[in-house]
Amino acid sequence: MSNVKIKSKNLNVYYGDKQALFDVNLDLNEKEVTALIGPSGCGKSTFIRCINRMNDVIDICKVTGNIEMDGININDKDLDVVSLRERVGMVFQKPNPFPKSIYDNISYGPKIHGKGETKSELDQIVENSLKKSALWEEVKDRLDEPGTSLSGGQQQRLCIARAISVNPEVILMDEPCSALDPIATAKIEELIDELKKTYTIVIVTHSMAQAVRVSQKTGFFHLGKLIEVGKTEKIFKNPDNKMTQDYITGRFG
Amino acid sequence: MNIVLIFLITIFSVSLFFYGKSKTKTISIKDNIKLNALPKFYGYYLVLWCSIPALVFLLIWSLFEPVIIKSIIIETAANQGAIFSDKNEANLIYEKIKAIHLGTYFGDIDSILKESALAYAKFINLFTNSKVVLIFGIIIASVIYSLKKIKNNNKARDDVEVILKGLLFVSSLIAILTTLGIIFSLLFESIKFFSVINIFDYLFGTNWSPQRAFVRDASSITAAEFEELKDAFGFIPLIAGTSFIAFIAMLVAVPIGLFSGIYMAEYASIKVRRISKPIIEILAGIPTVVYGFFAALTVGPFFRQVGENLGLTVSSESALAAGLIMGIMIIPYVSSLSDDVINSVPQSLRDGSYAVGATKSETIKQVVIPAALPGIIGSVLLAVSRAIGETMIVVMAAGLAANLTINPLESTTTITTQIVMILVGDQEFDSPKTQSAFALGLTLFIATLILNYIAQRAVKKYREKYD
Repeated sequence: MSNVKIKSKNLNVYYGDKQALFDVNLDLNEKEVTALIGPSGCGKSTFIRCINRMNDVIDICKVTGNIEMDGININDKDLDVVSLRERVGMVFQKPNPFPKSIYDNISYGPKIHGKGETKSELDQIVENSLKKSALWEEVKDRLDEPGTSLSGGQQQRLCIARAISVNPEVILMDEPCSALDPIATAKIEELIDELKKTYTIVIVTHSMAQAVRVSQKTGFFHLGKLIEVGKTEKIFKNPDNKMTQDYITGRFG
Repeated sequence: MNIVLIFLITIFSVSLFFYGKSKTKTISIKDNIKLNALPKFYGYYLVLWCSIPALVFLLIWSLFEPVIIKSIIIETAANQGAIFSDKNEANLIYEKIKAIHLGTYFGDIDSILKESALAYAKFINLFTNSKVVLIFGIIIASVIYSLKKIKNNNKARDDVEVILKGLLFVSSLIAILTTLGIIFSLLFESIKFFSVINIFDYLFGTNWSPQRAFVRDASSITAAEFEELKDAFGFIPLIAGTSFIAFIAMLVAVPIGLFSGIYMAEYASIKVRRISKPIIEILAGIPTVVYGFFAALTVGPFFRQVGENLGLTVSSESALAAGLIMGIMIIPYVSSLSDDVINSVPQSLRDGSYAVGATKSETIKQVVIPAALPGIIGSVLLAVSRAIGETMIVVMAAGLAANLTINPLESTTTITTQIVMILVGDQEFDSPKTQSAFALGLTLFIATLILNYIAQRAVKKYREKYD
């Protein structure tokens, strides 16, 4: 059994008057892929956005409860969000490369955190990140072309490279394949398999098959509550909860 | 008479609308047939057929009637024995005849004039009567035609669409033709100007003093006068003054406008935004003449006072005062446009930047502004063309002397101000002085056109970015 990297305790999230998460207690294991499934609007994305405090951007959002990463509460007001986000990277639903060159897309993060002081160090970081995201071979000759000129799947891998460029410990993925075709999806899934050797990964997905393929642990959310969590195999073969059973067999959602 | 006719046509059309609507309804019920269009389309169909041919005829008639009557009357007067040597005299006699007819002529009336006036009255009468008869004829004909069509259950919907499309086309044609008309009038007057003044003397001359060029007839300029004229129309001081004042204005407007735009788009809460944005936009609603006297009566003297205290010579009409106030006037343009542009940068880019740990200001500086840059450049260029075209503030606050200077404390002048100066008051239309206004206008038009083109290109490029 691997170590617990992130532990949420009684996590509640409110958007204005509306409560989006109810007392979520969820452990995420180190160097493992945890998949979060559930119908739209059930709070999966809200949950992972708590882990890198992206909800701070939304004015009306209020988060109570604890999220501990390596035993330290990251939902603390005094926590430095910048260094948290350096440790917890994120990949979004739609590829969102900056309208900059491929090189600048990757070097953006390291520069902000003062990593890679010399040009050759930066070059190294860019090359490593692109290699890790399996994009290097495709773009190594055109690093100065805009990131937006790549195909959708390449853009998403570029965004993954951008996330790992600052050398995080955790990578959050919010439906990373929902805008991609099956071939690009297969490439990303392959990549996730590879990345989990180095990083703790949380992936939100609407595809059961994808959850089965990539994850070791699965959590099922419904209407803001964590209904069931367990080993992926168990959740999909023999869930304890009737609702989970109904959802994975496609009876609702 | 024309107003009465238009009124009648309108009333007639409106009543036809209701007639057509109910008529088709009864037809469809009585004969139990399916109409090809909604009853109201038959109403529209009748209205359009009743009004458009009649109105178009009226318009064309009104354009040609005076011309035809005039030529007939002048001919009659000539047959009666009136003597005129050229067109101007003929015009004079025609005006006299008209005045007699209207009873507003108080000079001597000889028999020729009297006879012609009677003839004039006769023709006016004849034309008016035939106009009324023809118009009613047209209305009746077109209404009969369209009623017949309706009875046959025609495809009124398609016909109405075609006619409306035609109307819209004519409207846009009018807008385009007006633009062309303005350009050509500028062009022709400028060509007259450049036939007297060499275009290179104009473009590269450094001295602007058009008041020297009071020449009664451009065709009879002596060599000495020509030498005098040659260096009176130097464009350089004006373009220098214009760019200088616009530059000062942009120095004020771009940073303040851009920063307030960034604040509005990125930092201000919805509440603050809702209150402060309209307040900034009020600045755009203040008439420029108000800015002008604010600059001339408050800011200018204030600068002079401060300058005197510092031991500087400051003219009370200075480029600085005008530029500063002009800049303040332009702030809302820059601010509001760049606010819009920044707002349209997708949130996902900001999220991507926050997610790697960038702070808000880093995100704005390195992701949002670069992404919005083409749009911001567009808004700045639009503001520049606004600054170049601005007149009132400069007239009041920067003075009229065409000094070629880069000292912001001296008075200077701009292209638009000089156009105003040249065309205010009584003018000789043949004098190069007056014609120079058209040349200036043309130059200004070309300059703003180029700027607008660049601005639009920049904005367009921006639009392509995220689609």
